[in-house]
Amino acid sequence: MILQTEGLPDQHSLKTYVEKVNGYTAARKVLGGMSREQVIEEVKQAGLRGRGGAGFLTGLKWSFVPKDITGPKYLICNNDESEPGTFKDRYLCITNPHQVIEGMIIAAYAIGANKGYIYTRWEYQEEIRYLENAIKEAYDAGLLGKNLFGSGFDFDLDHYTGAGAYICGEETGLISSLEGKKGQPKVKPPFPAVSGYLSRPTIVNNTETLANVPWIINNGAKAFRQFGTEKSPGTKLFSISGALNKPGVYEVPLGYPFASLLNIEAGGMQPGRTLKALIPGGASAPVLTPAECEGLTMDFEAMAQRNTMLGSGAVMVIDDRQSMAELLKVTIEFFAHESCGQCTPCREGTGWLNNIMDGIMDRSAKPDNIARLGSVARNMGGKTICALSDACAMPVMSYVQKFSGELQAYLAAGSGGHSK
Amino acid sequence: MSTETVTFNLNDRDITVPKGTTVMEAAHKHNVYIPHFCWHPGLSIAGVCRFCLVKVDNRPKLEIACNLQATPGMKVSTLLPEVKEAHKWALEFHLVNHPLDCPICDQAGECKLQDFYMEVGKYKSEMDRPKVLKPKALDVGSELVLDTERCILCDRCVRFEQEVTKTGALGIFNRGDRAVVGTYPDKKIEHNYQDNLVDICPVGAFTSRDFRFKQRVWFLKDQPAVCPGCSTGCHVKVYGKPQVRTYFRVKPQESEVNGHWMCDVGRKTYKHLNQDQRLRFAVAADGKGGRQRVSVAEAIASLALQLQGVAASDIALLVSPQYTCEEYDALFAFFVKKLGVSKVFQWREPTENLDAFDGLLYRGDHNPNTFGLSEALAKAGLPKDVKNGFEDLARSGAKVVVALAPEIEFQFPSLAGQLQKLSELAFVSVWTTSGSAYNVKGLRHLVPLKGFAEKKGTFRNFQGKVGELAKPFPAAVDEAKDVVEVVTALAEVWAHA
Repeated sequence: MILQTEGLPDQHSLKTYVEKVNGYTAARKVLGGMSREQVIEEVKQAGLRGRGGAGFLTGLKWSFVPKDITGPKYLICNNDESEPGTFKDRYLCITNPHQVIEGMIIAAYAIGANKGYIYTRWEYQEEIRYLENAIKEAYDAGLLGKNLFGSGFDFDLDHYTGAGAYICGEETGLISSLEGKKGQPKVKPPFPAVSGYLSRPTIVNNTETLANVPWIINNGAKAFRQFGTEKSPGTKLFSISGALNKPGVYEVPLGYPFASLLNIEAGGMQPGRTLKALIPGGASAPVLTPAECEGLTMDFEAMAQRNTMLGSGAVMVIDDRQSMAELLKVTIEFFAHESCGQCTPCREGTGWLNNIMDGIMDRSAKPDNIARLGSVARNMGGKTICALSDACAMPVMSYVQKFSGELQAYLAAGSGGHSK
Repeated sequence: MSTETVTFNLNDRDITVPKGTTVMEAAHKHNVYIPHFCWHPGLSIAGVCRFCLVKVDNRPKLEIACNLQATPGMKVSTLLPEVKEAHKWALEFHLVNHPLDCPICDQAGECKLQDFYMEVGKYKSEMDRPKVLKPKALDVGSELVLDTERCILCDRCVRFEQEVTKTGALGIFNRGDRAVVGTYPDKKIEHNYQDNLVDICPVGAFTSRDFRFKQRVWFLKDQPAVCPGCSTGCHVKVYGKPQVRTYFRVKPQESEVNGHWMCDVGRKTYKHLNQDQRLRFAVAADGKGGRQRVSVAEAIASLALQLQGVAASDIALLVSPQYTCEEYDALFAFFVKKLGVSKVFQWREPTENLDAFDGLLYRGDHNPNTFGLSEALAKAGLPKDVKNGFEDLARSGAKVVVALAPEIEFQFPSLAGQLQKLSELAFVSVWTTSGSAYNVKGLRHLVPLKGFAEKKGTFRNFQGKVGELAKPFPAAVDEAKDVVEVVTALAEVWAHA
């Protein structure tokens, strides 16, 4: 569905996209006669859930844009991929950038936006090169700009490079950054669909989400629902990493067994390595023990049942060599570094957790500090403008709950029994 | 705001408020106090301190009251244990890297963090790790000192700079717990509203150069007053220690005239009230060409004698627009109505630009009661011309001049020169608060007056709005009188002479 051009010669090119996988036929179909409402309805019927991490229903989100409002509206492709472990959108943009652009044309038409932006972090130079080349190709072919397919619909698309901050992947933080301000989330309401970029109605969708749209239009909601589960229809890109034989990005139907993803797609654990823990959806997802991975399927519901989340589909396989204390330290350090500093529980809480972890690492922490990690995290969660506070708190609580013995051992011995 | 209303339930009480009202505003209007740091009624909503959390029935998470609009049927609680626990933890997070230096912090005694900790704090702190250290005592403006370590990043100061003065000198730099408030490179806070940053800072991060370390606030008494610094007539509070005859600061009091703010010029209007700046006793001519210290009663008697020795046409009044309506009424009732004096001139700074206005509060007319004086002049049947009357006075040939000198001397840079020129006229009685008048040896008659914080009365601002001086401090100078008292005594002596 999404990685349609993967492996074809010049997989990223317009020529390949058009000639080999009938690229831009969905946009032509939409602009050739579908109403905005019909497009939104088709996406709603498909049950497409946002692939950025939150899993919100895409069609429903589009329907929040006020219809009776004049003046500019905006569509933004959230391509700021920065959750540790996540690299699926980067792979998608290098492999099949035109499907993202086509998805944007359709989404823009559906919400009535004539201007779109793709927002990518500066570090991803290779991805940026492919995207900008694809945008140029599309403009040169008349697929972007004025009067697309003779429909009278105009859509201009720019690529914007952010300086690189985790929180610029949060939709209002992204909008602040795009506006030229410090990248930090905005208090809601108002929601971006009503007042977003430059205080105008704005929809922010993840790259992979948008790439699903042309397929849905071409094949219909029903066909889309043949893949995945009832509540998590379609396929999903998973970026799987760790001590594996074939780490990488794989597109599989939602609901795909974790064991198959691990052992078939990713080629299983490297020789001699065993599974110690699983982070199923990026660094912010609560960690699972091997026992909890039994019978696990890769979809929103199965993850929720295990009190964790699918997130962006960043599957991190932790093997027996890894110290959970050290893993928790780098996880907290990352979020403490990336907290924008706006909301107090996040600004101070992530820093405080990091401070406690410093103490565990250098053995200056008091024994009750491990429990304190949990109590601080519990009181940070759910209390801030955006979810970064939760993104730090959730893994901390899960590590304390499931691996406190190892944390204690590390504090007592300085290494948790692991060689450093 | 809409005329439509909504009714919602707050702590089991139905409350009706205009549509669009936030739970925070509604709660405060109905005496339910929701703790907060970043919310300020004069600024936009930031929602960053996460302190004003409340529970809305049937919603999974606690929500911030400052950004939560009341909707019909909504049921809100500020009293549930989970809300109280959230408030405790909110404070705990605020205190994680905040130095516990209350004993030496200038904000102690009026620090919201300190107040809230006493009210809803977590008395046994969870924090046992070293704090993050940040820059202290930064020079960010001519009136300000910034201690970033005490800052709780509530963003009020940044929003003030963006939204009120529109100068945008401040930003929050860096991220996470390394975040600090500060000025942009090569920028400083240079406007006339700097001390508002001290007022709105809920902790001791911004302190006032003028006030810091001069006094513990709990030793101060305050009285409502009207700022005498310009014709806006901001409603203010004057803070002093009456027992040692010392004033320490002026702060704004919220009103429809000035909203939440006042300017730095206005804040300095307390300085002339202090005893060491004051004319502390009366002076009268000794009959031998010199002058001597006398009681106010003796000075008044001496003036009465002078007035009786000349015709009304030889008497002139020189009046500053810094006195109260009541004082003008008393003055004109005696001199104009009773004595028939018609030579009345206004004491104006020659360079003043009455039309100047900075767009916020400070006006080019540096007098609080130009409106009231004009009205009093008209009532007395005199021309209400506001031009500088000093030259006309010099040419008038008056033999006795009674002059009400401007009270706020620093607003009148030409004051010393004008006093000197006045002293060269025949017999000049200067009524004033100013100690510098005593140094002009040619002035042979002086009466000490009360300052604006020490008398009752009213000012009328540039729009004619009344500002009341209702609760005076005892005068810092025992001998000082207001103009009503002086004129009343003068009229009495006159009647019995």
